[in-house]
Amino acid sequence: MNDLVALVVQQSLNGVYLGCLYVMVALGLTLIYGVLNQINFAHADFVTVGAFAAFFTVTRFATKALGLPDAGAYLLSLIVALGVGALLGLAVNAAVFAPLRRGDELRPLIATIGVSVLLENFQLWLFGPIPYQFDSPFSRETIRVGRIFFSAQSVLVVTVSALAISALYLFMRFTFLGKALRAVAQDRETAGLMGINPNLLIGLTIVIASALAGMAGALLGPVLVLTPFAGASVIVKAFAIVIIGGFGNMQGTILAGILVGIIEAFTVQYLGSGLIDLVVFVLLLAMLVVRPTGLIAERKEENV
Amino acid sequence: MKPLLRTAIAALAAAVAFSSFAQDRVVRIGVLMPISGPGSYFGVMDKEGIELALEHFKNGVNGYKLQVQYEDSACSPLQATNTAKRILDQFKPHVVIGEECSDASLAIAPILNEAKVVQLNVGSVTMKLTESGYKYTFRIFPNAEQQSLPLAQVAYKTLNARTAVVLHEKTNAGNDNAEGFKKPFEAMGGKVLATIDFGRDVNDFTAIATRIASLGKVDVLPTFALEGQQVRLSQALAQAKVVKGGGGTAVQMGSIWLPYGYDQKAGEASQGYVRIVQFDPTEKRKVVQDFVSAFKAKYGADKVPTHINAHAYDAILLIAEAVRRGGHDSESIRDQFSKMKGFEVTTGTISFDAKGQTSDLSVVHFVETQKDLSWKALNWQ
Repeated sequence: MNDLVALVVQQSLNGVYLGCLYVMVALGLTLIYGVLNQINFAHADFVTVGAFAAFFTVTRFATKALGLPDAGAYLLSLIVALGVGALLGLAVNAAVFAPLRRGDELRPLIATIGVSVLLENFQLWLFGPIPYQFDSPFSRETIRVGRIFFSAQSVLVVTVSALAISALYLFMRFTFLGKALRAVAQDRETAGLMGINPNLLIGLTIVIASALAGMAGALLGPVLVLTPFAGASVIVKAFAIVIIGGFGNMQGTILAGILVGIIEAFTVQYLGSGLIDLVVFVLLLAMLVVRPTGLIAERKEENV
Repeated sequence: MKPLLRTAIAALAAAVAFSSFAQDRVVRIGVLMPISGPGSYFGVMDKEGIELALEHFKNGVNGYKLQVQYEDSACSPLQATNTAKRILDQFKPHVVIGEECSDASLAIAPILNEAKVVQLNVGSVTMKLTESGYKYTFRIFPNAEQQSLPLAQVAYKTLNARTAVVLHEKTNAGNDNAEGFKKPFEAMGGKVLATIDFGRDVNDFTAIATRIASLGKVDVLPTFALEGQQVRLSQALAQAKVVKGGGGTAVQMGSIWLPYGYDQKAGEASQGYVRIVQFDPTEKRKVVQDFVSAFKAKYGADKVPTHINAHAYDAILLIAEAVRRGGHDSESIRDQFSKMKGFEVTTGTISFDAKGQTSDLSVVHFVETQKDLSWKALNWQ
């Protein structure tokens, strides 16, 4: 393999890995928008909560109390973070989003900002501002194939992302709840007349999105500088991906996430890492001008 | 007037007079530091250092009580500006310690100088802070040139490095440190293969490490970023087999930015990392060991103070010394700072030059991370 080919393959793999991380964060955002037509500004904090849940599961519970090996502890932490995210979504929906949904559409949107500030400051109080060092045992394992290298963590991230996306797709396409959820996204009132409880389905959407955010946090934990503000460093990019993909469109979000990851990797290689944000947001603006519906334009009811 | 009433009025007048006298015998110290946001760990460590130092002066200095007010300036130029104006208006400080971040420090410098209030900076690196002609600004933290020049000299002369890739965060501090390395390194004959900057929101450094690996033989990698990003960067460079910690040949170099404990966080990726440190908790000087003991007694036996704790602690020692020498308001404290020569603190010996920059860097020295992740002091200065 010559130098250029090796470099292109290496940066492409780096980009896919980064893209999968972005997709895991952006999926929850796009799911909520697709069903509720609402932006969740607290999503970054759900990611951070997931990262902390995974961190404490590994360091305080799984290795010490259960005596699991490092790899087992980290895998368990993914499931715990998923559960913590789901529970948090359930609680926030019941306490904040559901009561506000009856009135003005703007109120739940503003409430997500409030929830974000609340979660951020609660975590600051609970965990303090000094960065935690969260290392996954998979990050320490480097796999080398010829001149190409990648960490076992990146294989795990890609695998878990693929599983999560597949599970979500199967759920949406082939289960009664998934079909009902798509019906609510298509027309909430008519779905209600057909015997579907829209509020229950909306609650379920928030729970699924929060669970995905929690798991994204666990995957991102060993990559992020883990502080109560950690999620904020990826959320702007995740919003850009959701817009590029076509707001509320899952396939578009996945495609856009991988694309942005690859573009970032090649921007670092050929233009300079300082230009990453410039390139991504120029792409975003270009997309809004040329193709405002996003990469994959579909009718809204087909999105989720 | 009845005698009882007269006595009461006299007592009240005396109380008021005493009260106003007591109020006057106070040196007010405003502290502008990041308490919220990603830089808030600076604020936590600053406060620990300041609170510990204040315990030494509970009974005042030279008849003056040291009164401190903390404000959150969030490492943000905008918030720091608003906070500086508010604290000047409401607290009327004689000295302001802050900010930690260069961009925020630069934002408040003209405001404090306009108000003729002393700014004592303990953690910003940008050259502009003491190169802009501010008469009330003093800094005990080595500036970018003071940190980067020794790195460049050691890279070229001691490590025989001829190629470098400079890595830095995209801030005033990062830019100045990077320039501070590049200019002298190139002037000596070295070649900078690439200068790679990145925002503070970058988390994954694999693509950057891949790029560096594709640049050919790199001898040194001077790196200027906060600890969290440096840990991830070192790990990515090790994974790409660029640095010694990953089986490569390049030496990663760093500055005083990195606190004590970085090596343990980065793990074996940090092996062979060479950097300058100003505060070394293992240093034998009495002032250092007294500080470390007092810190552990107050905050826990397992807590080792960092340079951020130490700089904040030193700031209070320095203000107290100025008050002991006769300073009691902004003007007189400024005068005492200007005359300060050879005052020993935990991070060295403070002597301000005409620009208000600490000039005695006798305790700044090089260390190298060993296989067991401990420091080995290097006699390279």
